[in-house]
Amino acid sequence: MNFSLIGALQILFKILIFPGLLFVVVIGLFLAGIDRKLVARMQKRVGPPLRQPWFDFLKLLGKETIVPHAANKAVYLAAPVIGFTGLVVMALFIPVFGYSTFSGNGDLIVLLYLLTIPAVALIIGGSASGSPYAGIGISREMVTMMSYELPLIIILLSVARKVGGSALCFSLGQIVNWQASNGCLAFHPALIPAMLAMLLVIPAEVGTQPFDVAEAETEICEGPLIEYSGAPLAVFKLNTAMKMFIMTALFTNLFFGGVSTASLIGAGIPAIALDAVIMVLICIVVTFLSMSLIHAITARFKIEHLFKFYWTVVAGLAALSLVLVWFGL
Amino acid sequence: MSYIHFPVIAVMTLFMGAFLTVVLGRHSKGVRSFIALAASCVSFALIAMLVKPVMIDGEIISYWMGNWAPMSGYAIGIGYEVDQLGLFFALLVVTTILLSAVYSIRYIEKDSSQDFYYVLFLMLSGSVLGLVMTGDVFNMFIMIEIMTFTAVGLTAFRNTSFGAVEAGFKYLVIGSIGSSFTLFGIAVLYGQCHTLNMAQLSAMLYGNHSPATLMAFALMFTGLAVKSYIVPFHTPAADAYTTAPSSISMVFSGMVNKAGVYGMIRLVYIIFRTVDMPSVQTLIVLFGTVTMFIGVTMALAQHDFKRLLAFHSISQIGYVITAAGLCTSLGLSAGLFHAMNHTLFKGLLFLCAGAVLRSTGTTNLDQLGGLSKRMPKTTLCFLVGAFSISGLPPFNGFASKWLVYQAAYEKAVTTGNIFYAFVTVTAVVVSVMTLASFIKVTQAAFFGQLPARLADVEEAPGLMLLPMYIMSLLCVGTGIFYDKVYQYLLDPAVRAAFTVSNYIDRMMGDGYAEAAGVEDVFASNPHFSYWNPVIWLALFVIVFCAAYICVVTSKGSRGQILSDEGGAEDGKYATFFSGEKALPSHVAGSDLFWGFKTDWKGYFRVMEGLHSGIVNDYALYVVAAAAFVVVFTFAFLR
Repeated sequence: MNFSLIGALQILFKILIFPGLLFVVVIGLFLAGIDRKLVARMQKRVGPPLRQPWFDFLKLLGKETIVPHAANKAVYLAAPVIGFTGLVVMALFIPVFGYSTFSGNGDLIVLLYLLTIPAVALIIGGSASGSPYAGIGISREMVTMMSYELPLIIILLSVARKVGGSALCFSLGQIVNWQASNGCLAFHPALIPAMLAMLLVIPAEVGTQPFDVAEAETEICEGPLIEYSGAPLAVFKLNTAMKMFIMTALFTNLFFGGVSTASLIGAGIPAIALDAVIMVLICIVVTFLSMSLIHAITARFKIEHLFKFYWTVVAGLAALSLVLVWFGL
Repeated sequence: MSYIHFPVIAVMTLFMGAFLTVVLGRHSKGVRSFIALAASCVSFALIAMLVKPVMIDGEIISYWMGNWAPMSGYAIGIGYEVDQLGLFFALLVVTTILLSAVYSIRYIEKDSSQDFYYVLFLMLSGSVLGLVMTGDVFNMFIMIEIMTFTAVGLTAFRNTSFGAVEAGFKYLVIGSIGSSFTLFGIAVLYGQCHTLNMAQLSAMLYGNHSPATLMAFALMFTGLAVKSYIVPFHTPAADAYTTAPSSISMVFSGMVNKAGVYGMIRLVYIIFRTVDMPSVQTLIVLFGTVTMFIGVTMALAQHDFKRLLAFHSISQIGYVITAAGLCTSLGLSAGLFHAMNHTLFKGLLFLCAGAVLRSTGTTNLDQLGGLSKRMPKTTLCFLVGAFSISGLPPFNGFASKWLVYQAAYEKAVTTGNIFYAFVTVTAVVVSVMTLASFIKVTQAAFFGQLPARLADVEEAPGLMLLPMYIMSLLCVGTGIFYDKVYQYLLDPAVRAAFTVSNYIDRMMGDGYAEAAGVEDVFASNPHFSYWNPVIWLALFVIVFCAAYICVVTSKGSRGQILSDEGGAEDGKYATFFSGEKALPSHVAGSDLFWGFKTDWKGYFRVMEGLHSGIVNDYALYVVAAAAFVVVFTFAFLR
């Protein structure tokens, strides 16, 4: 009885604090702050303080929530929470190097589908608001999703083939362990195109410029989010920040999974803490490369160009990796 | 041992129901509904009672009509043989029949000649049930014929509506060509083997193919493929599903095309046992992949709710065929699981479409909108079905698609054949496109703004909602407890498909298979250890509650949620137009996915040309595909 109580508390700790809810929220908002600061500096602005996403979030929580006349109230209010839930669950499947909530779990296909839940929540919420701008926005969001899903699956298959060889391997935990003994996948030449493709998939998945066609503030007034206000909007903004961390963490595990410190100083709390710090540092670098830098130097795509770009350039890079890996490089 | 009679009685009950409807049900609506319900309940109960002996105890039921048992090793009479594979499909069939019969009571109450409807419905049901349980190829052909002609009648049932008769005619032509191929194949086979019993044929043909039997294989394969509507035989399906009453569209997608799928699996796994050959695997997987891709892209271009669902039916059958064609135990499990899930979620979606049609009088997505305000229960059921077919966790579509990807990629890495990696990628992309087109229906029909014309539509009656609720629950339940589904339904069925000798011995006597040199190749059991959906659901609930409390408490500080309900005239809340007078501005179905459609203009133009609507063209596709299969068979089968 005593044992199971401790076990339950441990699981609860993992779900609510680390590596679950609290960790993802804090790091996500931190990354969002860093992203804004970096973009501002590159554009020769001072930029907001790092805590600005927190302030925005808390401010929105205190605002009134308005449900439009044409909206389906239940779906409209539930959508942000479903997206949020999907993201927290996904965080539990992504290991901090060796440490994860479910040991050995983290199936890539499950992750691929969990990734769609926040996007679907945004789409359903926007659709339920009844606004014509949201209608245009969800259409674009869906096309964006179709665009990046093709390269993403090819990237995941390349990694799975490289790690598994002639056996089926979709476990993220296994991929991290393989890298710990065989070196990071980022340094295997065959997977460099896939890594570049992944760097381009992240901004589309998160929805930062130039891939933010779905929310395009200047054309369709944030698309699916147009009618949202108050707490639901706060949760949607939080979702975007969390997605930043989850996508960069996924990238880290896929391509830099071998830099765990556990082998150096042995297992235990300090090793996990150090791992977490290293992970966040890599996430910051990835955020800079894939989101801030591209954001600062480009202007928004048109939706048909975005689709074409992902299905030709990005999918082409990913496919190149798959072919190279397939023939044993 | 009384249950050995159950399969035959279950089939006969349905045919008797059809007969009694003609005799007694001409004038009374109550009698008609009662006969249909009673017949479907009885057959459901009889088949459900077989689960214990067949699925759990592993028994195979064999039954000789009129006790014409085999003499000196030759089967003479018609045999019924219910193995786990057959029973798996029989369960899908009886579930579909029962739910459709309940739904029909209110759904067709405004139609004329309802007695014909029930006669045809019960005959269709009986024929499909007979098809999946028979052990005789000619009996199978007869069942296919009954199925095709009753299906034609039901397609054209609402013959006052636009296109119904045309759809029936297309179905008739293409269906007859398919049946003729099957009959031709059976005739060649009979000429070679002098028997029509599946078990005996299987023993005789095991590893023993002559040019004539290969020809028979190619023809029967094509004939059954026509019945399962895979591309390029899909053309009549789109029209038929659209114009048939929704209760019948559900039957079509739930069991009529499953009958074709069952026939193909039976053919390649048991009768000819050609599925071990890599070339046959390539052929089936190629058909499956093309089917799922063309089905889903055609669905994206549709403006009609039911036609869109019809193309999705085609696309999902592509998944089933692809997975079954991999010839691994994981692959066949995935295929059967997806077949089951497709019966559930596509049936549910057709019933939702029927509810919308009954309430609003149209299924044109450009004329609907905002129905979630008026039909909240239908909307809920539709969302469950849409999320299931799009494969979002934790619904059942996710579990089976996940298995399909695992199976296809396992095949790719174990054989080192990059073709199967391509198949995996296609399957994932098709899944996203499926999601896209259901987002389109959600936005165009259920959310967005309610047109003034539809301001007073009513929710569907309780008797129509009941089957929808049951199917929704099944969609969620089979997704969460998929390991139980695997243990009790899929695993026995897959084992049955891989142990041919059991099938032969039970029918022809022990030792018959061994004498014919039949060897079983049972691949190892797939392992399902990657994720536990129950834990996942618990997590989902915990986190959902936590988050919802957060949102609610944060609102508590400011009082209740403000809604502009009833205050649309108030400038403050007329939010779409910044205080201007609000005009109706619904984003309808054909307005969505512009970027995608622009990039694929060329492809859609070609597809539009191919789906010309001319039945001569469609017949040509069937014949051309048959020629392709024949050439492929002779060139590569060895």
